[in-house]
Amino acid sequence: MPKVKINGKEVEVAAGSTIIQAFKASGQEICHYCWHPGLSVAGVCRLCMVQIEGMPKLQIACNTEVKEGMVINNTSPMVKETVQWGLDFHLINHPLDCPICDQAGECGLQDQYMQFGKYDPQMAEAKVKKHKVIDLGPTVVLDSERCILCSRCVRFTDEVSKTNELGIFNRGDRSEIGCVEGKPLNNNYSLNTVDICPVGALTSKDFRFRQRVWYLKEADSICPGCSTGCNVKVSYNEEGLWRIKPRENKEVNGHWMCDTGRDSYKFVNLKARLLAGKIGKRDSWQDVAVADAARSAGLKLRETVEKHGADSVALVLTGQYTNEEYADILKFFTGTLKSKNVYHWLNNPEKVNEFDGLLFRGDRNPNTKGLEAAMKNSGAAAGPTSGKWETLQSQLASKKVKVVLVAGPENQATFPDLNEKIKMLQQAETLVWMTAGHNATLDQAGSETWQIPLKTYIEKAGSFTNFQGKVQSFKAGTTIVPQALTLSEAAMLLSGHDIDWNLRPKGLGGPKTNYSITQRGTL
Amino acid sequence: MSLVKRPNATAEWFLPGIIFGLWFTLKKMLWNLFNQKKMPTLNYPEEKYEYGPRFKGNHVLTVKKDGSIRCTACMLCATNCPAQCIKITAAESNDPSVEKYPIAYEIDVLRCVYCGFCEEACPVDAIRMGPEWQTAALNGSKFTYDIQQLAYRPQLKGGIVSVLDEKERHQAGI
Repeated sequence: MPKVKINGKEVEVAAGSTIIQAFKASGQEICHYCWHPGLSVAGVCRLCMVQIEGMPKLQIACNTEVKEGMVINNTSPMVKETVQWGLDFHLINHPLDCPICDQAGECGLQDQYMQFGKYDPQMAEAKVKKHKVIDLGPTVVLDSERCILCSRCVRFTDEVSKTNELGIFNRGDRSEIGCVEGKPLNNNYSLNTVDICPVGALTSKDFRFRQRVWYLKEADSICPGCSTGCNVKVSYNEEGLWRIKPRENKEVNGHWMCDTGRDSYKFVNLKARLLAGKIGKRDSWQDVAVADAARSAGLKLRETVEKHGADSVALVLTGQYTNEEYADILKFFTGTLKSKNVYHWLNNPEKVNEFDGLLFRGDRNPNTKGLEAAMKNSGAAAGPTSGKWETLQSQLASKKVKVVLVAGPENQATFPDLNEKIKMLQQAETLVWMTAGHNATLDQAGSETWQIPLKTYIEKAGSFTNFQGKVQSFKAGTTIVPQALTLSEAAMLLSGHDIDWNLRPKGLGGPKTNYSITQRGTL
Repeated sequence: MSLVKRPNATAEWFLPGIIFGLWFTLKKMLWNLFNQKKMPTLNYPEEKYEYGPRFKGNHVLTVKKDGSIRCTACMLCATNCPAQCIKITAAESNDPSVEKYPIAYEIDVLRCVYCGFCEEACPVDAIRMGPEWQTAALNGSKFTYDIQQLAYRPQLKGGIVSVLDEKERHQAGI
């Protein structure tokens, strides 16, 4: 473990690590573009210059190994001047279109210029014009004028996704990033190149021009897209969620996440959500307060159990809720209703063990492991086998099960057979469907149905158990539908208890509308 | 402590006050009658006061030489607006040299405080505050100005051309 002195501060780092890692470890700032902790060292931007005592010239911190007793600094006037003019070279051909650029606000060039640059440009030549708005693939747009050729994206496709779509073409100041022989950038990890791009050269088609980043707040969460459980941060404002980005966790996802997981903000937003409790069936829906819907559904369940016994009710759970919620709903079902009729609804049992080799898994539920454990703990005997589903099916067909309580999928896109399963469950006399989003098939229900809105992963605190059995807890980020319940709250209301309504969060402001249209009258 | 000026004995006599008031009015009327050109008041709305070009009145969105809207939807004006009365919806343009443009640009002028911060924030001279000051309207919804009103209202005679031209900048190598 060599000890080094960085700007007068002593740091001990692992042998073989580079100076830039020592800088990160000591918490000191250093200017850099091309170096990324998840990628190999390229050493092309020449901005992480440091002065090492005993060496006549400046060295790059990203490609110099730490040796015992090194005395390093990056605050001397020599280093500062080198970094400044290095930045000037990077900005020679960089267009000044920050107003149009989507990266403005989180741009490496803007930040580094304000922190380390602040020079008067001395370049009198005209800028080299390159291609703008190049369609690289289904998810990414390239602007090669803005590119500073740090090669992070090229190294990403080379080393991480191993798809090798990107490369640097031409020479000198005419160098450009591009796809190899028209092969589009369409792997499932392509949007990571947008994340690691320090400038606005690569932008995501999904997020491009939708919001300015300075309007967005960030909250840490866990991706509910599959059983890997990538650590993510979610960007949101008053209008809802806008994008999901990966957060570093070496044990789970490293620095990356898949493009499929990035879609998991869409079902959270107001348009897709169920906003009030609904009771009734096709053509005769009645909107009721969420609490009333849950209370009356609970009454129905308890009455059915009293009349026809505990086997006349069934609980169907999907793997998209938190461990705490499973414990509560199972406690209600096995404790209050004394029924063991619990079923695990797995969306694609044949694909559960699929894995693409990097992050994405075939089991597209964040908490299958947690649900299995919770069911085992509660003593409800059921597993994710098709045989169990057949039992439920025969019980439904023979009208033995009168009321089915379902904690439906939050992310409906991950359930390819959702509509068939809904139709199957509608064979019961009464269906109590708890879920976050609305569903057209459910609205066409022929039998008596309760729809109770639930919260999504970003609106509640809890924990998911991922495929490794690692329990990852997360906090509530924001609230989109304040009236929606968590499964725990729903269990309380179903069992006839009340919840503390004073502790409930307020919702967002909703889309910004100019006040005059709706409120002002005519003179 | 408040100082209250109590009326003295002479002021309690109202007749001198009335006579003075009547005389003052009569004097002004006679003066105006014989010096009509020097009269400071205007016969609004037939006559209107023209403010100088630097007056911060109604907003104008400038246009390019081809008549399309200059705004790039960077939202700096909306960010800088202290009254939060600007709402912009950006979209991707089919023209790669434009890239981003506003499909909706609304200013709620009843919330606007006419501070001119939007004009100052704009990096491309896309929004200006013009000399127009008459904002009367019959209906509440008429006070939300859209692109049509801001850039192409009849008073602007086809639009004000922005001083900053992207194509010229591009050709100059900036």
